[in-house]
Parts: sequence; C-alpha cells; structure tokens
Amino acid sequence: MSQAQNPAAIMNNQDTHSGVTNAKLGVWLFLASEIMLFATLFTSYIVLRMASTSWPWGWDVLNVPLATLNTVILISSSVTIVMAYAKAYDKDKGGFQKWMAATILLSLGFLVVKGFEYGHEFGLGIGPHTSVFYAIYFTMTGLHGIHILGGIAVNAGLLYMSTVDGHWRNPLFLGRVEGAGLYWHFVDIVWIFLFPALYLL
Amino acid sequence: MSHDPHGSAEHHPLTFWERYVFSVDHKVIGLQYLITSFIFLLVGFALMGLMRWQLAWPGTPIPFFGGLFPADLAPNGVMSGEFYNSLGAMHGTIMVFLGVVPLAVGAYGNYVLPLQIGAPDMAFPRMNMMSYWTYLPGGILMLASFLMPGGAAQSGWTSYPPLSIINPGQTVWLLSMVILITSSLLGAINFLVTTINMRAPGMSLWRMPVFVWAQFVTSVLLLLAFPPLEAASILQLMDRVFHTSFYMPKDLVILGQAYAGSGGGQPLLWQHLFWFLAHPEVYVLVLPPMGIVAEIIANNTRKPLHGYKTLVLSMVAIGVMSFMVWAHHMFISGMSASLSNFFLVTTMIISVPSVAILTCLIFSLKGGAIRYNVPMAFALAFLPLFGIGGLTGLPLGLTVTDIYLHDTYYVIGHFHFVVVTGSIIALMGGTYYWFPKWYGRKMNDKLGWIHFWGSVITMCGIFGPMLFMGMGGASRRLYDPTAQLHNLPVQGWNVVATYSAYLLAAFQLPFIYNFFNSMWRGEKTPENPWQATTLEWACPSPPPHGNFEKTPTVYRGPYEYSVPGRKDDFWMQSDKN
Amino acid sequence: MSADTDAAKHDEHRPNVALYVKVFAALMVLTLVTVAISKIHLPPAQAVALGLFVALIKAGLVGALFMHLWGENKLIHKALWITVGFAVVLILPIIDFVLISGRSTSPMAVADQHPAGHDTDKDKAGEAAEPMKAGH
Repeated sequence: MSQAQNPAAIMNNQDTHSGVTNAKLGVWLFLASEIMLFATLFTSYIVLRMASTSWPWGWDVLNVPLATLNTVILISSSVTIVMAYAKAYDKDKGGFQKWMAATILLSLGFLVVKGFEYGHEFGLGIGPHTSVFYAIYFTMTGLHGIHILGGIAVNAGLLYMSTVDGHWRNPLFLGRVEGAGLYWHFVDIVWIFLFPALYLL
Repeated sequence: MSHDPHGSAEHHPLTFWERYVFSVDHKVIGLQYLITSFIFLLVGFALMGLMRWQLAWPGTPIPFFGGLFPADLAPNGVMSGEFYNSLGAMHGTIMVFLGVVPLAVGAYGNYVLPLQIGAPDMAFPRMNMMSYWTYLPGGILMLASFLMPGGAAQSGWTSYPPLSIINPGQTVWLLSMVILITSSLLGAINFLVTTINMRAPGMSLWRMPVFVWAQFVTSVLLLLAFPPLEAASILQLMDRVFHTSFYMPKDLVILGQAYAGSGGGQPLLWQHLFWFLAHPEVYVLVLPPMGIVAEIIANNTRKPLHGYKTLVLSMVAIGVMSFMVWAHHMFISGMSASLSNFFLVTTMIISVPSVAILTCLIFSLKGGAIRYNVPMAFALAFLPLFGIGGLTGLPLGLTVTDIYLHDTYYVIGHFHFVVVTGSIIALMGGTYYWFPKWYGRKMNDKLGWIHFWGSVITMCGIFGPMLFMGMGGASRRLYDPTAQLHNLPVQGWNVVATYSAYLLAAFQLPFIYNFFNSMWRGEKTPENPWQATTLEWACPSPPPHGNFEKTPTVYRGPYEYSVPGRKDDFWMQSDKN
Repeated sequence: MSADTDAAKHDEHRPNVALYVKVFAALMVLTLVTVAISKIHLPPAQAVALGLFVALIKAGLVGALFMHLWGENKLIHKALWITVGFAVVLILPIIDFVLISGRSTSPMAVADQHPAGHDTDKDKAGEAAEPMKAGH
C-alpha cells in the first residue's frame, strides 16, 4: 500500500494544528476554488445579460417542468448522500451501500433528464452558437454536468471501496465519504442558483 | 508523537521509477520542477532571441537558424509577421506560466517549504506528484502548438478577443492553459494544507520564515485567482470550438466579411476576467522571490530581519490588494471614469506595502557584518533593480501618464525589470543558496561571480533601453519597428538591447555548466554551510525520505542571528539552548 | 487514534437524520416557491431579487446543515469568508458594464442601443465616443 510508505499519511488524522483533517481542509479549499470558478461564470452571465438588448424568458425557450424535476432529483440526491454519511458514521455497511447506490442512481437520473433536454434543443437546431443566452445556458449546464460526472465517479469509487474490507475499516474512510458529500452538496448548491438564473428569471 | 516519520527507504527499496520519475517525495518533485522550469525558461528565452533579431535588424534573414524554419514562417530566413506574433505570445506564456511560476512555487516552494516548517512531506504527496505530471504535459502541449497547422497562438499572452478567436493556434493554447491551471490549483491546495496543518510543534505562525509566508500568500492567490481565468478560458474555448459569441461583439466585420456567429458578446469581459487573474499573477511571480531574498539577506547580514512582522503583514496586504487593482491594465481599453479612478487609487495603495517590504529589506542591511557571497550578491542586486521595476510602474498606474505610455516599450521595460531583474535574479540567487541543501555540494564561486555580473549588467542593457524607447514613443506592438517614422530616432536602442540579450544568453552558459558540474564534482559542504537558523538546515543534505530523523521542536523565531551572550552568531530554531 | 475517541470527541457532530428529513422538506417547498414566483409576472428587478433570495436560503440550508458548516471549525469559516470576499470583488466588472452602456464598437450596434428619442445625454456621449474609437 502506498499509504504505508507515505510519511504524511500518519498526519492524516485529527491531530493537526488546526483541528481539521488534511483531507477535509483540502476538500474545502478545492471548493473555495470552485466557488471562484462559478462566481466568474455567474459574473459573465450577469454582464452578458445586462449588456444585451434582449434576453429570452426561460419559460418560453427552455423546458421548465423537466428542470424542476431535475432540481427535485438533485436535492434528493443531496439527502441520500448525507444519509449515506450518517450510515457510514454508524458503521452500518449495508445502509451506507444502499444510500450511496441511491445517490448514484439519482445523479444518473439527473443526467438522463438533462440529456432529454439537450436532445430536444439539438433536435430543433438550437446549439451554443444560436445566441448568447444559449451559449451561457449550454456552457454553464454543461460544466455543471461535468461536475456531476466527476461526482458519480467519486461516489462509485467509494461504493466499490466499501465492499473491500481494508478500505471500509480504514479510519480515513469516513473522512472520504464526508469529502465526497461536501463536493456533492456543492454541486447541488450550484444547481440551486443555476435553475432560477437560467430557467425562471 | 504522531510526527515520527517512517521513511519508506527502510521498509522496501524504491524502484528507479518510484524514486526519480513518479516520486511522491516533495524533494524529488521540487527538483523535477526546478530542472523543467529552467528548461522552459531557456526555451522562452530562445524565442525572444529570435524576436530580438527582427527588432534590431528588421527584414534581414536570421543568421544560422533562419533556414531551419518552414517557408511560411520565415521565407528566405526572414521572419514573417505571423511568426513574430506567435513568438511573442509564446514567449510571454512560457516565461510566466511555464517558467517563473513553476520555478518560484513548484520548485523552491516544494523543496524548501516542508523543510522550513519541519514537516516530513507535503500534506498530499500523491497530489503533489499529479501536480507535476499535469504541469509537464501541459507545457509540452503548449510547445507542441508550434507544430499545429496554423502555428502557435498569435494573440499575445493576454489573448484579447476578438483577435484571439479569429487567429489560428489559440485552441491548443487554451487547452494547455486549462491543464496548467489545474496543476497550479493542485499545488496551491497542497501548499496551504501543508502550511496550516503540518508545522512542527512550536512552529507558530509568527515563527514561520518569510519564505513560508510568501509561499502561503502566493498559494492563496493561486487558489482564488486562477479559477476565474479557467472559467474565462473555457468561455473562449467555447467561442473557438462551438462558435458561441461570449466575446464576439455584434456586427463584427473581419477582412470585409461579416462574422458568422450570433454576436452580442463582450470583448471587454475577457479583459476583466483575464486581468483578474493576471494581476495577482504578477505578485505570484514576485512574492516568493521576495521571500528568497529575505532568507538570504537575514543569513548573510548575520542579524535579524528589520521588521519581520511588517514584512509579513505587507505580504498579506499585497495579497489582499492584488485582487482589486487589475483594471489598471485596462485604462485605455475603455472604462467608466469613476471606475478607473477607483483602480487608480487602489493601485497607488498597493505600492505602499511593496515599498514597505523593500524598505525593511534595505534597513536589514544596516549595521550588519555582511558576507559578500554569490547568493548575497543576487539578493543585493534584487533590491535596486526591483526598485526600478516598481517605481517605473507608478506612471502606468496613473491614468494620465498611462494613456501616453501604455502602448509603448515602456510597459515592457517596466514589467521585465520587475520579473527578470526582480524575480529571476532572486530565483537564481536561491539556486546558489539552496544548492548545498539539494546535493550536499557547493556551486563554484568564480563561475557564480561571472554569471552574476554578466547577467545583471546585460539584463539592464536589455530593459533599460526599453524604458528609453517607450518614453520616446516607440510602439510595443510592431513587428517592424522601422515602419513608423517616429520610432527611427530610438531604433539604435533596439540594437543595444539585442546585443545585450545575446550576451545574457552567453552568460548563462557558466551557470548551466556550474550547476551540472557541481552536482557531482562540487566542493562538499557540511550540513549547515551558511550557519543558518531555519529548519531546512537542521536535517542532512540532501535530506532522506521523511526529511527529519526526529521531528524538530521549534523554540524561537526564524532569524535569531548574533544573539548577545552566545558563542555562535546563529541560533537554530530547533536548538533548545 | 481509534474510531471510538473520534466519535466521542465529535458527538455533537453526530449526523442528525431527523433534521436532514426536515431540511429536505423545506428545500422541496422552496423549489416550488421559486417556480411559482416566476409564474406570476413580477417586474424584473423584484423577480430577480426574490428568486435570488430564495436560492440563497436554499443554498444556506444545504451549506449549514448538509455540509455541516453550522458548528464547523472556525478555520473553514475563515477560508470561506476570504473566498466570498474575493468573489465579491468580481462585482467590479459588473459595475463597469452598468456604468457604460453601448459597449459595442460597431456603428450599427451603437445605433441599436441609442435609438432616436432616447435619453439625449447618452446620445451625445455615444456620438462623442465614436470619433475617438475611429481614431484607434
């Protein structure tokens, strides 16, 4: 195991200067950079919208009911992953796997719904090139979708790791679940802002 | 104590690949960064050498190398305008993103920071390795863009749209920028977590060496300023690949043809987002070298730094302010008057902490029994030359003078005084200072002095003339400076600058020889050859995997030199008495 | 460090499942509220303000309770406040675009954005800007 040969792994516990584990601090700092990334995109959105002469209303050009469904799906997945964390906290392996699998299924569901939306728009000949509105719509939802894909990969990895006894018993495992959860909630928060910005306002 | 390092060397021997190539040891990664970024610096320098020929003797064939380029780039060995633009764009990009930042942060930060805080390694060693192994492919991709159809990016390192969206070569530039930014982010998170969590017992924040503080502030800048450029690059990539119009205005006409995209975007948005990164980036280029200079000066004056806390707080202040000054790069791009006044004021404010740092460093010299050795020479040269760089920036921060100077060589002269005679001089000094740490040997002094005097004088010979040309009104955007009659009176300075540049290249040869020769044949040095006080000298040179045999405990501040009543004139941070 | 002491030290951080369910219900209700608000045609400024307000509440709920920011270590709070501070600076470009309208340089776009009968002061500014831009 590369963990053993890595002297820093020993530091990877609660016994740090700040009282926050390295992993958790690392995840939060990563999220800080993600905040700046999406803040920039939202800034661009506001600038482009204010500088443009016309801006369509989401209800007229996008499928709001489908997006509302997606919002419900994503918020539900946030709850399921926090339940998975609670189960991991209680060392309930079966419960953890159930809730984590539910999270992954919900996130796949989100992507499928998103795919239907994209497919419908492409079918109408609408793409990012159509107008600045569609450009920002496709870019922001696309980037968000890539973040979802990354989250699915991480969550699936954790689900697999929970089946391996060495990983499940590792004291760092709970921290990994927590980190994955933090990331997933962040992706959820991004969508909470994207949904009104693109579809409703 | 949980800090006890379990060096892997005892557990099982590492293979060659684990030890030298895909190593997770911060010291090996630091040296990988060091060598790679020095090579990129040389490459960027070579590109500039070609450009300088064109600027001194426009329209004449490039000697020796002219025939090597394909005919569309340099017909009959004479550089074409497109090729010149590519060289300019790539010179800037390579020097900033592949040369100086990886050298200052990736190399010195990686090697020295964990040692100076008494940590066994970085917080995330494998992420550290990934950071290098994303930097290298990103850099190679950037270089490979010269081989793409249409050549490399031609829109300057700033990549202003709409030009950048029309010109060929930009897509690869954007892709490799996204890769490089990812690498920087991985590094920044690692540095921050390491500094916050992995300090040795007793190493309180106010006992950290200035260099560690500089790296810490730099990492905050990298972490928070790079994502906006990543987002902006993604938008520009969308513009190029999917023909969106984020940065393309309405009714754009290119060479008599209407632009095919929908239009309705804002070219100025890119400038805001780009400089939101790129101004903090300037401080990323400057803060770590300032930290190196502080280390060298404290060590060689044999007395505590003057105003350690002032230095550190000034660095923090610079870090905060650097996010609020970016639009002084855009005074002539068009901005509302009230906002340009705002940025004028913030720009003047940020010069205060910079001056405070320089003043502290100069006052540190007062009353010291100075050791004049090669690293100290570089540190001393940094003070006035960086001062010139900083002071020549003031007229650019004032809107009135900036309108005259902005498009002239003055800007290039100013920037290069900051980054070359400032950062690079300090980084070279750092190499001489920490070389004994890396290899347990010393670099040759005589060659070091030749390198020092040769470099400093020729650097001034390149960038000094640029300031004169700029004040004479010479445009910095011309591929043939003689195309504008008003440039002709100052054209002689271009020739001086070009000769100086070639001499500067020649003076790097002793450095390169010295570096590799000393690696194997340099004079062997003791564990603490400079009689320094900071923790990196409290372990063997080179340090084993895991660094310290026993986790050091820190008892005092970083610069306890010449403490009265002690036999030695230095008091190591980890020595109890 | 064994898992037992960890759990003991962080007992107040023990996941509170009942709370998660309540938050979930609140988020669902708020989602419906945003959709409903957008259906009644409010003036744009009020619609944006209200939409943003609801989104902030939702994000706050997720951040404070799902991400356990409530009662989290002060260091993480500090890091986030610093990040938010720098993100707020991004408002400056927006202000710039508010202060200057009609950024497009082409005559057609300028004419588009300054139709006859529009605010005369702005018209003059637009005309004054034209020759300068042509000079570049």
